[in-house]
Parts: sequence; C-alpha cells; structure tokens
Amino acid sequence: MTTETVLSDSVGKPPRRRQFRRWSFLSFLGVAAVIWVMPLIWMLSLSLSDNDALQKNTTSLVPIEPTFENFTTLFESGRTPGWMWNSIVVTVVTTALTLILSAMAGYAFARVPFRGKRIAFPLVLAGLMVPKEAMFIPLFLIFANVDQHNTYQALILPRVAAPLGVFIMTQFFAAIPGEIEEAAVIDGANRWTVFWRIMLPMSVPALTALGIFTFVLTWNDFLWPLVSATNPDNFTITTGLASRQGNFAQANSLGDLMAQGVFASAPLLILFFIFQRQVVRGISLGSGGK
Amino acid sequence: MLLPEVTQVVARGKPTGAGSSRAGWAFFFPFLVVYLLFVLYPVIQAVRMGFYDHDLLTIDRRNWVGLANYKRMLWGDGLGWDMLTMWPWRLAGLLALIPVAQSYRTRRMSLAPAVAAGLGLVVVFGGLMGIHPGVDGRWSDSQFWPSFGNTLIFVVYSTPVIVGVGLALALALNQPDRWVSVLRTVFFAPYVLSVAVLTLIWAFMLSPQLGLVGEVWASLGLERVSWLTDPDLAMPAIVLVTLWWTVGFNIVLFLAGLQDIDQSQYEAASLDGANRWQTFRHITIPGLRRTTLLVVVLQVIASFQIFGQVYIMTKGGPNGATRVSIQHIYESAFRDYELGYASAMSVFLFVVMVAISAMQFQFMKGDEQ
Repeated sequence: MTTETVLSDSVGKPPRRRQFRRWSFLSFLGVAAVIWVMPLIWMLSLSLSDNDALQKNTTSLVPIEPTFENFTTLFESGRTPGWMWNSIVVTVVTTALTLILSAMAGYAFARVPFRGKRIAFPLVLAGLMVPKEAMFIPLFLIFANVDQHNTYQALILPRVAAPLGVFIMTQFFAAIPGEIEEAAVIDGANRWTVFWRIMLPMSVPALTALGIFTFVLTWNDFLWPLVSATNPDNFTITTGLASRQGNFAQANSLGDLMAQGVFASAPLLILFFIFQRQVVRGISLGSGGK
Repeated sequence: MLLPEVTQVVARGKPTGAGSSRAGWAFFFPFLVVYLLFVLYPVIQAVRMGFYDHDLLTIDRRNWVGLANYKRMLWGDGLGWDMLTMWPWRLAGLLALIPVAQSYRTRRMSLAPAVAAGLGLVVVFGGLMGIHPGVDGRWSDSQFWPSFGNTLIFVVYSTPVIVGVGLALALALNQPDRWVSVLRTVFFAPYVLSVAVLTLIWAFMLSPQLGLVGEVWASLGLERVSWLTDPDLAMPAIVLVTLWWTVGFNIVLFLAGLQDIDQSQYEAASLDGANRWQTFRHITIPGLRRTTLLVVVLQVIASFQIFGQVYIMTKGGPNGATRVSIQHIYESAFRDYELGYASAMSVFLFVVMVAISAMQFQFMKGDEQ
C-alpha cells in the first residue's frame, strides 16, 4: 500500500500545502481516536478512584484520590476471581480443542481421499448457516437431559463444533504444495506422523489466527453461559459481570464495579496488543474475506 | 482461496484402498461427532420441539400440538388487512425490487432466483405486512411481532451506520504511516471487550447524571438526556454503542479489501489526470464491491442475533422499545417455561436469517462471475 492511494492528487502541489493537508487530516483522525478511546480511559480512571469520592464526581478522566483499593477488594472478597478462573478454563480448553479438531478435519478434507468426503464437506459447510444464538433452546435440553448444566463441559462442547474452523483449515491445507507431503510418505512416514510432524508445524500461522479469534469469541460468549451456567459459582466473568449490572443502586460502589470491568477486559486487551496482527488476520480468514 | 476452488480440491482424488479411507475418517471423526451432536442435531430438535407443548418444569412430559405454536406466534383474533399499515416500511421493502430487476437485467442473477426474490418481496411487503389486528382484534402473542419488529429496526438502523462508518474510517486509515497504525489499534480495541464490559461502560457513560455524555451535553448548554429510558432514544443509543463496539471488525475487513485492489490502476488513473473523486468513484468503489457485500451480510446476520447489549442495559425497556427476538425467545423459555413455543420462535428466526443470507449470497455469487 502506498501513500498515493489517499494523496494521489497532491503529487503536483507545493510541499508546504501538502504537509498542511496531511497534518490537518491526521489531527482530525486523532481527535476521533481520542473520543473513541475516552470510554476506556474513563473506566480505568474510575477503577482507580476512591469509592467515596465518586459519590461527588464521576466525570473525571484522571483518578480522584487515586487508590488500588478497588482491585484489592476484588481479590480479597467476592466471586470475581472464581469467575475469572472459570472463564480461563473454558476459553483455553475450547480454543485448544477447536484447533485440534478443525486441523484434523481440515487435513482430512484437503489431503486425504476418503469415501463419503463429497457428501461430508458440504454437510460441514451447511453448518456455517446455523446461527448459534438462535439454537440455544434445543442445546439447553440436550444438556438438561443428561444433567450436565453448570459444568465446564456444557460450556465447552457446543463451542468446539466450529464449521468455520474446519473451513479455514481446509483452505489452508489445500494451498500447501503436495510434494512436501509426498516426500515424507516416500520416506515411510504414515499419515499421523505427516500430520503431527509436518503439516501442523507448517500451519502455525493459520492456527494462531484461528486460535485468537476463537479465544476472543469464547471469552466474550454471553447467551450460552447465561442459559447453561445458572449457579453463581459457575458464572463466567462475562455473565458474572452482567449479573452485577442492571440497577443504578450499585452506583455507590462504582469504583469496585469499574475495577471488575478492567479486570475482566485486561486479558483480552493484553492479548490483543501482543497479537494484533494475528487478530486482524483471523478476522479476514474467519469471515471468508481471503 | 475461494469456496469453489476449495471445493474442487476437496473433491479431487479417489480413495486409494481401504487404508486411506480409514485414515481420512479417523481424522474427520472427532469433529463429526461434536458437529452432529451440537450443531445439526439441535436444528432438527428445534424443528421437532416446535410441534410440542413442552413445559420446562415437567421436562419429561410433552404433548403434540401440531402447528398450534406457530399459529399462536404468527396469528391472532380479528385480524384485518389494509393497504396503508406500516406503508413507509413496506414501500421501502418493495423498492428492493429495483436492485433485483437490475441484477437480472445485467445477468448477475439468473431467472429463477430473481423471480423467487421478487415474489418473496411482493408477498412479504405488499401482502403479509398489511395484516394487522382490527378494532377488536389482537395478536395471540402480543410480544412476538413487536420484538421481531424491534430486531428489524435494529438491523435497519445499525447496518448502514456501522458499515458506512467502517468504510469511511478504513479509507482514512489506509496509509502506511506509523501514527495511523496506532489509530487503527485504537479504533479496533473495543471489539475485544466482552458485552458485559461494554454495557458496564456505556450504561454509566449514558447516565444523565453520572456519565461523560451528559457532562458534555451540559457543557454545550443542552439539556441532559436520559438516553436509555427514553423510548425514542433508547434504540438509537444501542445502535451507537454497538457502533463503538464492533466497527473495528468492519474496518479490518475493508482495509483487507482495499489492499486487494490492484495498485497499478491507481497509478494509471493518476497518469490520466483523474482527480480524487473520479479515482474513488471508478476504482475504489468497484474494487470494494465484494468486500462490501461480505461486510453487509455479516453485519445483518450479527445484528439479527442482537441480545446482550439490550438485555443488560435496558432489559428490553423502556416500555418494550428495545425488546428483541432473542430476548423474547429467552424469556419464553426460562421465565415462562415454554420450551416448545420458544423452539418454534427459534425456527422462525432461523428461517428468516437463512432466507436473507441466501438472497445476499445470490448477489455475491453473481458478482464473482
């Protein structure tokens, strides 16, 4: 991508005018970005403010009577750390299982000729059309019939069946040249060895992108945990935090509430800042863009 | 690689002996099990349950009621039809006939789907939407159509706003500058927040006394507005909150689309002396066609499933103004314990979404040829 794209008509103009246009354009964008990030800074500021001071003023972008008390309260009492742990377990296991199952199925579709494949692949693609949020009633019944609600497996299993992951991995494996695999087969390696030792290591970029995408979606999942994990000890951080909202009476512990918000979003924001490129790639891949 | 190419690769090759076939199934089997159990079976189960009266409290017993759930959902007593009910919406819907005819004329759509789409539009907007309760009439479920209507209103408001702002920001952010890349990060960051954090921030942001928005409003000399408790403002507020939350996703897709446009076209245009607007109109817009359709499809599908924002921030209020379909399904099942009826509504939502995405993909498919 080159600057010409946006500034194509400024080529012939005097440099000073071009500079001016560029700076005014950037500052305009900058103002928009500051507005965009303001709510996050506000949340952080309130979380570091003294609860009593917030009774008088809640519109400061710098902490009032700065304190870490809200965060220490959060760790010392209440369920928040437990919810965080639930979220971590569910998200990590879901992501790992999704990656393994998607990679295996994708490898089978792209690389291994097997009977019934031509029916199986469209069947999996059809799953892309099933809106998850609309199908939670039958899913609820399935787990209710075997008395498995309020468990980790109830939160994990339905999310592991990701047709999109299979499609992405099929797409990825299909693009790898056949020679690499053939060479290994000639050396006497069987399919499992080829898959684990050669194909999986090669697909790390695709797996990272898919993994981060799955991680974000699972961490932020709301409706299914709300339906399945109804016991407060089994809430995830998302449903737990939601359960504490909804009435403004709690405004007298606004600092505590915002500290929980910061705590709940920290893992994802940190992950995002580290793996920014992969997140972006995951979105392009995940939506069939490329 | 696009879908048709992938399908070709998948179809290539025949099983070379029983060993290969067994290996293929071994790799595919683990996924197949969870897929059948938790994706396909629920769909079949939802359709089946829609024909039963199924109480959550007596979960083992259920009665076959045939189409009664669907009748209760869609129909009512003393209904009438008239030309002018909801006419602005219906007129807007009928205007969609123009792009359909256009795509048939330019061969982007073949005859059968074009006729199907046209008939569908006429039946739904010209016919069905004219049905309404007469003077003494009422819908059997007074909540179903209003909550579906609110869902549609959210889709209709949010799609152009979030797609449009996403496109504008992507165009502005499409530069190799270091600072611009920082700005990209800023606009994307809210997307990774969970819905509960989103509502935590914005319920207070929009609170007339506590929030920043009210403060800014007051400093401009305007009257403080209670966004989330005003029936006329609640839905627009939800749309804006959703814009802040998810526009980053669309920006990413549009940026990827912009990268795909052949750069030599811009250079050629520049040599030909095309101005900025002409370049935008004749190169950027056509180049982004496929991406735009993709973004719109994803946006519409996501918007139909709206639930968390409204459920946490307004509980569907004020006065039902933001109550949406998923909330109605959720409450029918877990507050009123009517699993069968809730299933029937899930099936309805499912069919509507599949129909809409099928129509949009028809446009897209034609576009690739």
